[in-house]
Amino acid sequence: MVSIKLDNVSLIYKLHEKLTLSAPDRRLGATGGRIEGSGRKQFVQALDGVGFELKAGDRLGLVGPNGAGKTTLLKVLYGIYEPSGGSVAIEGKVDALFNINIGFRREATGRRNIVLRGLINGWSEAEIEEKMEGIIAFSELGDFIDLPFKAYSQGMAARLAFSVATALDPEILLMDEWIGAGDASFQEKAKKRMDELAEKAGIIVLASHSESLIQSVCTKRLTLKGGRVESLTAVPVKPAEAASASP
Amino acid sequence: MISVLNSALDDISRTMKLRRVWIALAHEDIGDQHRRTTLGPLWLLVNYLAFAGTFVFVFQPIGKDAAGYGAYVAIGLMVWFYLMEIISLSVPLFKREESFIEGTTLPLFVYVMRLTVQSVIRAGYAVVGCIIILLISGPSLTPAWLWSLAGLLLILLTTPALITVFAFLGAFFPDSEFIVGNLMRVGMFFTPVFWVYNGQDAIQRYSYLWNPFSYFLDVARIPILGGEFPSNAFAITGATALVTWTIALLLLGSYRRQVVFLI
Ligand SMILES: Nc1ncnc2c1ncn2[C@@H]1O[C@H](COP(=O)(O)OP(=O)(O)OP(=O)(O)O)[C@@H](O)[C@H]1O
Ligand SMILES: [Mg+2]
Repeated sequence: MVSIKLDNVSLIYKLHEKLTLSAPDRRLGATGGRIEGSGRKQFVQALDGVGFELKAGDRLGLVGPNGAGKTTLLKVLYGIYEPSGGSVAIEGKVDALFNINIGFRREATGRRNIVLRGLINGWSEAEIEEKMEGIIAFSELGDFIDLPFKAYSQGMAARLAFSVATALDPEILLMDEWIGAGDASFQEKAKKRMDELAEKAGIIVLASHSESLIQSVCTKRLTLKGGRVESLTAVPVKPAEAASASP
Repeated sequence: MISVLNSALDDISRTMKLRRVWIALAHEDIGDQHRRTTLGPLWLLVNYLAFAGTFVFVFQPIGKDAAGYGAYVAIGLMVWFYLMEIISLSVPLFKREESFIEGTTLPLFVYVMRLTVQSVIRAGYAVVGCIIILLISGPSLTPAWLWSLAGLLLILLTTPALITVFAFLGAFFPDSEFIVGNLMRVGMFFTPVFWVYNGQDAIQRYSYLWNPFSYFLDVARIPILGGEFPSNAFAITGATALVTWTIALLLLGSYRRQVVFLI
């Protein structure tokens, strides 16, 4: 059974150098986690007592101001960061899309990059072979697939990254504010694929500042602020969306 | 202690399952470094031959030692360049792999093996150059050569451990990149790479006897040049390998999850 359960998770970034030489200015702002400690012992409390539960079919939108801890939370879910406190229990095969360029080699062709990404994700040679044409077709890159990755525009890179990440039916897909690079038609296509994924009893967690993206993709919304959960609510279906979705 | 070792071995065993990843990445690395050149990786062979040739030409003793000196320098440089490369590339290793470490959940040892494979491929070109020089300068082929092969194998087995230790050093103390870089540059003169130690009672004595690298060179060099099994050098190199592996496993087991916060 696919599920995510976080309990009282906190994460601290220790800063090994001084943040600044000038006297710290402790205005309280909406931006960022909390900078604490002093001198060489400074640290940022990026997540603080975060707890929630997701089950199959949930699509969670992570929102909150810059520095609220969205990316940090996604990286904890993916297993890159070990939380400083609390517990994380995840069932299911996780795939993630953070920075589009991660795991892509600039000099290698799109096709070669698909192979490398597949290997990194732990696919077998046969699986890569089998998925290759589907990935190329979904990305709509055409002949560009045999050009080096450095010749791609941002949106083209995003298309490739999304196509690869969703090709092997991940059960849990984590995404960080990337989809904006794709054009409208690709966003539509990507949304459809995410719908399919969620219908197959998967979980999607998407961090974004785009209200319309959250509304159209997600069923739940988690608002983070200063590393704390401010609210966890259901996303209401916009009447306009619902109407246009079933013409 | 046990849990630390388990954690390290878990990282290593997951890495071994992912061997196609690091082998593929290492090949990409080599390809990228030479993509726009005409000779490609053959430059590595040219570099080696040019270096070895220069040393032989400049430092060759006069008289009947002359032939042996070519082989001496050829093997010495081959091993030394290899060690210098893995050590100086491993100090900034985790920093260099930052985007992978912060973006994927690959086990840390993958990056160690990626550098290992890359260095071994590059060293392969020096080995070819070394064989050419050996053929020309002509110490005769004897079964003792197999001991040299065993010596090289021992060095190869130590490589991932050395890389791990220096990579953690670099992650904890970024300054060490420059310190180690300087030491390795100076180290060439304190290691019998191109000078011969034969019992002088000077500074050479200490820099030969107390320098683990001397023995790394000896295990590869003495069998071919002297036709004998250098048991002392093998023992010291083997002990160095064991100690390095122990430190590497402890570091990997204790700190592998911390590296992402350090870089
Ligand atoms: N590597 C790091 N070292 C130190 N502090 C960090 C690091 N990464 C993030 N932080 C801090 O952690 C807090 C949360 O950052 P995070 O990147 O998770 O925010 P975010 O919600 O994704 O913001 P954005 O909307 O800008 O993407 C911020 O205060 C940030 O300064
Ligand atoms: Mg972010």
